[in-house]
Amino acid sequence: MFTRFKTNATTLFIDPNFEGTLEYESGKKVNLILSPSLYWVKKLSLPISSVREVKKLLPSIFEDTLLESHYSYTAYKSGDDFIAFAYEDKKIFDLLKRLGISYSDVVSLHFAQSEFDTIESAFEINASQSIYLKDSLLVLAPTTWLKETQILDVKDIELSKHRVKLQQFGHIVDNSSLYKVGTILIVLALILIVEIFVAKSKLSDVQVVKEELFSKYKLQSTMFQNSASMKKYTKIYTTQTKLREYISYFLSMKLKTGQKITLVEYKNSMLYVSISGVAKGREGEITSQLNSKGVKFKTSHNNDTIKVEMKL
Amino acid sequence: MNQVNPLHIGALLGVVILFLFFQLSSAKEELKVADREYKSSEKLAVDLSSLKSVYADKKKTKKALERIFAQSLIKQAKLTIQREKKSIKVSSKSVQTKVINLLMGKLLNGSYNIKSLKIKKLSETKASLSMEIKL
Repeated sequence: MFTRFKTNATTLFIDPNFEGTLEYESGKKVNLILSPSLYWVKKLSLPISSVREVKKLLPSIFEDTLLESHYSYTAYKSGDDFIAFAYEDKKIFDLLKRLGISYSDVVSLHFAQSEFDTIESAFEINASQSIYLKDSLLVLAPTTWLKETQILDVKDIELSKHRVKLQQFGHIVDNSSLYKVGTILIVLALILIVEIFVAKSKLSDVQVVKEELFSKYKLQSTMFQNSASMKKYTKIYTTQTKLREYISYFLSMKLKTGQKITLVEYKNSMLYVSISGVAKGREGEITSQLNSKGVKFKTSHNNDTIKVEMKL
Repeated sequence: MNQVNPLHIGALLGVVILFLFFQLSSAKEELKVADREYKSSEKLAVDLSSLKSVYADKKKTKKALERIFAQSLIKQAKLTIQREKKSIKVSSKSVQTKVINLLMGKLLNGSYNIKSLKIKKLSETKASLSMEIKL
């Protein structure tokens, strides 16, 4: 199902002191072998079997050897020993930039140590330096020190599985801080997702309870209809309460001798009450009592009868 | 072998978190609105239900009115009672005021929807009555 295409990549050896021309075409894929000038190497014999555990120890193992800078570390097992490396990502990137090699064209990166660990003679890598194996470690030496040297040709070399991963932005932020910040942000994002989920679930609960409310109280299907019903029944309630309240004002009214309520009429939200025995100009005795109750009314007078008119 | 700039990943995570914050605040706002709507619906439901039980329960109103009309003093007064589908009309050209006092006392103290009412004093002891109660 997954087809892996074999890349037709050229293998190049890169050295900061090489002044010739590299056989590199921009856009063409390349495998790179790093010169020993680009890394520090140590052969370690440790009572640890895991490479991962060894990698944790490397910063302290190289501490005394290295100058102050930002280094990356790696190691692999070779027989009973470990071959440990320290390298500056930025230094390698700077060299790639100087040589005009785009990192996107690089298929794989290897240390010279892992690729030339079986060579028997010395090889020239630039005008003045050569590499050779000493106690199974590949070392750099001035070519003039060595008796016989050969020209290095990496075209047909079979590359090992030991690859180098460069931290392109290692100088901006170190991995552990990046992972810590990343973890915090991811945890925060997860908390937010859970909160959103909880809020959404509460929202759906509220909607379910609301639907239950409609069926429990036998409400109409829309709130508009229910509000209209509410308005209708509230109006009935208000009018009926006022009717009873106003009638009670007249029934408890202090009337003078000879004054009598002769008519109580209620129609079309209007209440009319007629009181006889009220001489013209004496309406105040009646109206003052209504005013004290805060009732809005109109009066008309006919002979000795006062007619009080109120809107409910 | 190009790698992604960690600052870009950080920025992307920041944007994702901002987006999630926005989503969360809108979800919470939605929840608040739904909660408010539920509370107002609940209040309306309770109020409407109690008002309907008073003014919209025709059977209950009719039964209560019949109990009032069955009281001996009111029954003896021989009021004209017209039972219609939507209302009950009560009238009398001349009735004892004590009967009107009793009837009105019952009606005004109960929750009846009185649509119209006319009480006209005829003499010290007599009055005419005409009223309509909506069912």
